Amino acid sequence: MFDFRFYEIWRSEEFISALLSGAFNSFWLSAVGGMLGFCFGLMLAISQDKTVFWGVRYTARSYIEIVRNTPFIVQLFFVAFGLPLLFDYQWSFFASALLAITLNFSAYFAEIVRSGIDTIDKGQLEAAKSLCFSKRQTLFDIILPQALVKVYPSLTSQFVFLFLTTGLVSEISVEDLTWAGRFISDRNFRDFEVFIVLTVIYILLAWLFKLILQGIKRLAFPWSVNK
Amino acid sequence: MTELLNSLFGPFYGNMIGLLLSATQWTIYLSLAAFIGGGLLGLMLTVLKISPLKPLRWFATAYIWLFQSIPLLMLLFLLGLGIPVFFQIDVPAWLAAGTALTLFTSAYMSEVWRGALESIPQGQWEAGKAVGLTFIQNLWWIIAPQALRIATPSTVGFMIQVIKGTSMAYIIDYNDLMRWGKKIANSQLDGAEPFIVFPIVALIYFCLCFPLSLWSKHLEKKMVLT
Amino acid sequence: MSKWYDDFQVLKDIDLSVAFGERIVICGPSGSGKSTLIRCLNHLEEHQKGSITVNDISLSPGMKNPEKVRREVGMVFQSFNLFPHLTILENCMLPQQRALKRTKAEAREIGMRFLERVKIPEQSDKYPRQLSGGQQQRVAIARALCMEPKIMLFDEPTSALDPEMVSEVLDTMIELAESGMTMLCVTHEMGFARKVADRVIFMDAGKIVESSDPEAFFSNPQHPRTKEFLGQIL
Ligand SMILES: Nc1ncnc2c1ncn2[C@@H]1O[C@H](COP(=O)(O)OP(=O)(O)OP(=O)(O)O)[C@@H](O)[C@H]1O
Ligand SMILES: [Mg+2]
Repeated sequence: MFDFRFYEIWRSEEFISALLSGAFNSFWLSAVGGMLGFCFGLMLAISQDKTVFWGVRYTARSYIEIVRNTPFIVQLFFVAFGLPLLFDYQWSFFASALLAITLNFSAYFAEIVRSGIDTIDKGQLEAAKSLCFSKRQTLFDIILPQALVKVYPSLTSQFVFLFLTTGLVSEISVEDLTWAGRFISDRNFRDFEVFIVLTVIYILLAWLFKLILQGIKRLAFPWSVNK
Repeated sequence: MTELLNSLFGPFYGNMIGLLLSATQWTIYLSLAAFIGGGLLGLMLTVLKISPLKPLRWFATAYIWLFQSIPLLMLLFLLGLGIPVFFQIDVPAWLAAGTALTLFTSAYMSEVWRGALESIPQGQWEAGKAVGLTFIQNLWWIIAPQALRIATPSTVGFMIQVIKGTSMAYIIDYNDLMRWGKKIANSQLDGAEPFIVFPIVALIYFCLCFPLSLWSKHLEKKMVLT
Repeated sequence: MSKWYDDFQVLKDIDLSVAFGERIVICGPSGSGKSTLIRCLNHLEEHQKGSITVNDISLSPGMKNPEKVRREVGMVFQSFNLFPHLTILENCMLPQQRALKRTKAEAREIGMRFLERVKIPEQSDKYPRQLSGGQQQRVAIARALCMEPKIMLFDEPTSALDPEMVSEVLDTMIELAESGMTMLCVTHEMGFARKVADRVIFMDAGKIVESSDPEAFFSNPQHPRTKEFLGQIL
């Protein structure tokens, strides 16, 4: 009854290599964007502390709210088409995509990390104080490790959710997985099959990310794993 | 309205903002449709997910897993491009976009609501059973009202995801705010450069989302206090 | 010395001096300000009026470097407050490395020494949640001792513990008392007070209402509130 023609995808080496390199690009764009976004998000989260100079604090807060309350695609277009005009310098679309992903992810991560910091028991801070830890040492040695473990599941699922939106970078001609799909379906006119295959690859990549993030947790926070 | 905008921003920007605002209504309609449709569907799924019948639970679990795993973008492509090509039928963009967003919303919403239901202590179910309520009566009169309070902040919060999600619909040629923003930014007119148009578009999205975000936070605070 | 939370006065004209090597037990009903008092002594809380002097360092509201005092004063909390992401030994080592700038090797050696003293060296590689409450509290004591404080503060160190674990912590504290440490303990363990205290202080509603040696305190309480309190607790 249904006339599925998946072989219209496999029959061409060009299509297969487009899929593979697309998947690879999607993967590493998100991975690198995720890491950079995490570092930037951490700084944003830390700068939410009451002791930070109010100008910095409110700038960071506004940034987080703006990014979280506007769609990624608008941010992407602004970064890819607006910023180069403003700075009068055209960088590659790949760089724009990476920048947009980093900026986008960082705000979501910041919000999650912040919520983790807020749940740390006051007793931990008092113990650190009474043991003469400086503010900086308390933050990096005591608060952050505990906060990150607490919010690790939320960070993971947020990352995967955001990863699933990165297909939009194909809109600025970055040759990611979604771009590969459109490339193929423009040529073999089997849109339905192509996007089913793409979906499966996205799900596999998401699953791979989850696995890797689990592994990172084991390495970075061995104490949080039940013995 | 046009006159007001023109007098505020001059004819050029007044016109541009007028165009964008009138496109915004389609963003709002799509968001509302997805939220209401997805909400109702999600409600049914939630009931299935906690129902006493195993096959129903399996179905709900599979459904939720599937539509949380499929990228929204792929869902839009599948419904807006894939199905029309495959079945040789015409699917209007609004229908494809509405369906895709409804499926997306329903999966996430039912997950939120199930979480809320499960946070109600088992004793409450048993108390209802003890006075002879059926499963549905128990759910409706005893459990749901309590779960509702827990779930409202996240539900309101998810409306933001839905609104942001609608911005992808322009990809299958749905004529919303995003599509008009892109059109205007591509127009090459002086004063309609991308670094002007997209911030305006962002601002309009922000005005839709930020109040919801504040409301959700407010509800959350209120819930923690009580 | 006096202290307010907004316009609620928690501590009212507290006048207390403690000699080196003295062991003080503070008791009193809930909310009487015992915790607040000893938390003022290492500047976890600020007082507003009067003066506090610890080992010739005077504390003032909003002081710049409370670390100077905290270095002299160790504190043990009701809820242990061990760092859950560090092993027992690391819990003892990290503060030394950070605040006293000791090397890792030094910190390890000193850490092990004090863990032996509280009799749990064999647990040193475990994480706090793998230990019983009594063991955790002993680690907390060892952690504070590693900083080689001159004064130790205890805030109800046994009241979060199951009854069968109370004595192991008290034994550790008794041993510490016998070694000559200056100690201020908020506790309702009257057996402990009788055994080691040089002075028992009874607080009520932010005031010290009675202060005497344990013998007199238990056998012949002066103040009616003290009598009532002892009647409830014994
Ligand atoms: N941060 C705070 N803000 C306002 N009031 C406080 C604060 N901390 C304590 N209080 C109040 O100060 C009073 C004394 O508290 P404190 O903790 O010192 O009592 P306590 O004698 O240690 O009681 P317990 O035996 O319950 O530990 C209490 O009435 C308490 O409600
Ligand atoms: Mg207390």
